[in-house]
Amino acid sequence: MAEITFDGVTKIFGDDVRAVDDLTLHVADGEFMVLVGPSGCGKTTALRMLAGLEEITSGTLSIGGTIVNDVLPKDRDVAMVFQNYALYPHMSVAQNMGFALKVRHESKDEIARKVGEAAAILRLTDYLDRRPKALSGGQRQRVAMGRAIVRSPQAFLMDEPLSNLDAQLRVEMRLEIARIQRLLGVATVYVTHDQIEAMTMGDRVAVMRGGQLQQVDTPQDLYDHPANEFVAGFMGSPPMNLLRGGLENGADGAVVVLGAQRLAVPPRYNASHDLGLGGAVVVGIRPEDVEVLSGAEVAGSITTRVERREALGAEILVHLSLLDAEGTSAFVVNDAGAVVTRPSTLVAKMGPRAEVRVGDTLRVRFNPERFHFFAADSGVSLRQA
Amino acid sequence: MTTPLLERPPGREGPATAPRPGRRRVRTGRAALFVIMLGVAVVMLYPFWVMIFDSLKTEAQFLAGKGFSLGSWKALNSVIPVGQQVLSSTIICCASIIVIVLIGLPAGFAFSKLRFRTSTLIFLVIVSAMMVPLQAILMPEFVNITKLGLTSGYFGAVIVYAALGTPFSVFLFTTYFRGVPDELIEAGIVDGLGYFGVLWRLVVPIAVPAIATVTVLQFIQIWDDLLVGLLFIQNTSQRPITVGLAVLSAGRTTSIPELMAGSFISALPAMLVYLGFQRYLVKGLTMGIDR
Repeated sequence: MAEITFDGVTKIFGDDVRAVDDLTLHVADGEFMVLVGPSGCGKTTALRMLAGLEEITSGTLSIGGTIVNDVLPKDRDVAMVFQNYALYPHMSVAQNMGFALKVRHESKDEIARKVGEAAAILRLTDYLDRRPKALSGGQRQRVAMGRAIVRSPQAFLMDEPLSNLDAQLRVEMRLEIARIQRLLGVATVYVTHDQIEAMTMGDRVAVMRGGQLQQVDTPQDLYDHPANEFVAGFMGSPPMNLLRGGLENGADGAVVVLGAQRLAVPPRYNASHDLGLGGAVVVGIRPEDVEVLSGAEVAGSITTRVERREALGAEILVHLSLLDAEGTSAFVVNDAGAVVTRPSTLVAKMGPRAEVRVGDTLRVRFNPERFHFFAADSGVSLRQA
Repeated sequence: MTTPLLERPPGREGPATAPRPGRRRVRTGRAALFVIMLGVAVVMLYPFWVMIFDSLKTEAQFLAGKGFSLGSWKALNSVIPVGQQVLSSTIICCASIIVIVLIGLPAGFAFSKLRFRTSTLIFLVIVSAMMVPLQAILMPEFVNITKLGLTSGYFGAVIVYAALGTPFSVFLFTTYFRGVPDELIEAGIVDGLGYFGVLWRLVVPIAVPAIATVTVLQFIQIWDDLLVGLLFIQNTSQRPITVGLAVLSAGRTTSIPELMAGSFISALPAMLVYLGFQRYLVKGLTMGIDR
């Protein structure tokens, strides 16, 4: 078991494709680190460099304090679980799991003992003589895990291991993987594009975009205090509402001007955020922090129109446009350069029995404790550390 | 009143018993296909029937058109050394195929899975050699092999057959290995294998259909070939069966029943090899194409 350190690691494919750009990240011994981001963000390349399957263009990568830039994959003592499991089709489950030990010339008794132990942990004991093609997706996934476990490696590397499973099995397996990782206490780097996996499994989550690390933090801190617009929009489903507006000094303090409507900024944000009045700003508010009001107009509320309604059973998502002075719809302006696709509407959550129809006019109020502010040009959070 | 469990609902009996037009069309199509395949089978098997039928006669019975005898089979070995020639053919075939597979496997693995400069160019050059007919290079090859003094044994013929068959095997193995997921190779590397370890312990076991395909196709080609055996094996005691039969048929008095018996013996190994490996053939030829 060991810690892993990326120190300014860069990977350039060809002459100018910068897949990973100056990645600095530390994974503590026993920690479950999730690398998350959209397709092409460099998370898999980072993992493959760690496994030794890609050469490092610059920077240093160390496992257990030893720089492994030029160390062959077989000498790094890491085990990898692949997206499509990569089980050896001509071998039985037991042979698959014990193969790495056999390559290391461990004795047959020792291999059988370790395979048996891993199979018991993974509930695979009854399937040891089967070939991979005779297993279900979940069982194959567990065999792939077993192949990693038996080696007792310094680190587990997992490349989207759940993406080939159906939704229900994915939920089961992510609990299973998290359980096994905690049981074994081995440093794990887990790559996924699924932010729910990232939130539920990781001790810490590293969000990547365009080869660059955007933020690394615990799942809850990442959700509560995103470092920039991208992280705010990527983590959470539905994503955070991001509204562009102008920040002005009103009679009772700062206000955000959203088209024809004005939103008062609670005074406490002046202390915790570098707001800088007079400029453009992006206000972020999570859908669960948008309260739909009934009855008369309330101070601090804004007027919206229901553009779309999605009934999910447990709740209803309403997509809202802001109304301007003439009462016509104005859609929320989003960050056009963002990789994450965001709705052009404001999303709010309502109870499953709420009487709401497309075209209805709703007044909504944002939870004043849960505002997020981002610079309009750079997208960086205005929150002061 | 209770309803019987197995009672058919009213109005469904008619459609259930009368064949539907679509199903009838499928049956007619299958019948037509069966007749066509039967015709093709007759055309293909007729020469074998003639070989067997005519070999079971003496020369006199063959000319008279009636009677059966094992005489030609008994006389065959006194006319040509059938056993020795079948052995020669087997040695030449096996040695050539071993060389072809041993070169084709790593080359195909390298072209499909390893990234190196000019790999595409080298691959195209090798594969383009498949387009060169044997006759075009026969004389230069003969001159070279003779200069090297390799025409007295099997070695010269084996080299020529291996050179002719290797481009095809490289092409087939490359195509096949392109269908093998890269992750399988990478899993082997992370598990502690080098490239040769991956090739030998992971790739070869799953390349059995491709190996079988190369083996069958090359076996049939080499076993049936006359020209290379005739030119590159000068020692008459090491002639393959095809050369032996050619000599027999070129004799002043050719016994057709003996020639048929020899031809049947000559054809049999290729058929057996084909029948033994045929279940791998389609998979070996098509894997990688559908990607």
